[in-house]
Amino acid sequence: MTVCGYCQLPTKKMATHNDEHYHPPGLQHQFEDMGQQAESDSIGMWMFLVQEIMFFGGLFTVYLVFRSKYPMAFAAGSNHLDVFWGTVNTLVLIVSSLTMALAVHYAQLGKRNLQVILIIATMVLGTVFLGVKAVEYTAKYYEGIVPVKGLNLRTPKEAKHNVLKTATEHSPTDPDSEIRQSLDSPSSVEKKGGEHSEHEYVNPTADFVWEDTSLAVKARDAGYLTAAEKIGYFSNGEIDAAKFRDKVRIFFWIYFAMTGLHALHMIIGLGIMTWLLWKAWKGTFTAEFYAPVEMSGLYWHFVDIVWIFLFPLLYLLGRHFGGH
Amino acid sequence: MAEHKHIDNHQEHGHQEHHIVPIPLYLMVFAILIVGTIATYFVAFLDLDGIFAGANTLVALLIAFTKMTCVALWFMHVKYSSRLIWLTALAGFFWLAIMFAFTMQDYLTRGSGVFTQ
Repeated sequence: MTVCGYCQLPTKKMATHNDEHYHPPGLQHQFEDMGQQAESDSIGMWMFLVQEIMFFGGLFTVYLVFRSKYPMAFAAGSNHLDVFWGTVNTLVLIVSSLTMALAVHYAQLGKRNLQVILIIATMVLGTVFLGVKAVEYTAKYYEGIVPVKGLNLRTPKEAKHNVLKTATEHSPTDPDSEIRQSLDSPSSVEKKGGEHSEHEYVNPTADFVWEDTSLAVKARDAGYLTAAEKIGYFSNGEIDAAKFRDKVRIFFWIYFAMTGLHALHMIIGLGIMTWLLWKAWKGTFTAEFYAPVEMSGLYWHFVDIVWIFLFPLLYLLGRHFGGH
Repeated sequence: MAEHKHIDNHQEHGHQEHHIVPIPLYLMVFAILIVGTIATYFVAFLDLDGIFAGANTLVALLIAFTKMTCVALWFMHVKYSSRLIWLTALAGFFWLAIMFAFTMQDYLTRGSGVFTQ
């Protein structure tokens, strides 16, 4: 037998209010009043979000360490990301945060229809975000800059990074000629997969490809290389394209890990929203009981905050170097 | 009768706990977030590193922190929450700062050869 926290009367169950004595609707027996219940809900959710901060924080720490070592490789990689889609996605996510905040607002007022509409709007915007992300990931695949060997099988000769080759050819230092030769020679991949015969695939090992070393050379000429960069990009004072490629590859590992983990959070968020939509549709939430809407909102806003930092740190960090 | 009075007190108390943020305030926060996003985009193309090294990153992060604060205070209702919630949220960022600081005081004071062979 348990004692009700609200009225100190013995009660049979913890979760329902079919007892003979009065309760505010929505109050669970273990809490003294609605205020205590609301604070307990919030504190539990915030404890979860704090460990999420540390979860993403580990990746931000990796970013911090490697960017402080190789700022130019990070700038080169960042300039190659699609800043248009990145900005669009930032705006999409901010609008979805607004619709989520308004969904909580109307849940607090107990308005079922507006709640349902705004939850649907949030889900649509979340799906748009993931769609744009898929477009971006696909583009990376076709450009040969997925940082895993064997995952760049469909790199056509006219990929963007190959256009960059013309820029480096004019530079006094000649970048990795070995890679260039392998790029120019007909690929084994092309022979295997004949269905894409209109393209010539030029990446036989399907490895990460990067040719543009112009930012490293520019930084050396301007004299602002870090100590790690002097060793990390150059061999005997000459630019080493293979070394620079490996440092840009670190950036793309971090890009895929961070945006991938963020996208996973979006997918989980959409799952939560589906459940929330079902509950809201049934009219579960009232002005007295809307904690699930508010807690889901906290999660959604947190995922938005992560993107608020990912956007400038991944997409915009090297734009002022003029790019390519 | 005594029980009835008791209920009334609790209902009044309950109204104080659940602050409903007015819609114009939500829209104002939203406007700040949109302006911040557009600003961070255009500022990124200006070369501020001529002023001092890392100025671009600093400006981008200042805008990001402003946006985060707006989302946390109004969208996540921290502004209207108890001190326990404030403490929890701030503690998260405090521990994050410790992780950054302790990691970097190690890496930045080592030789440059750590990540190169």
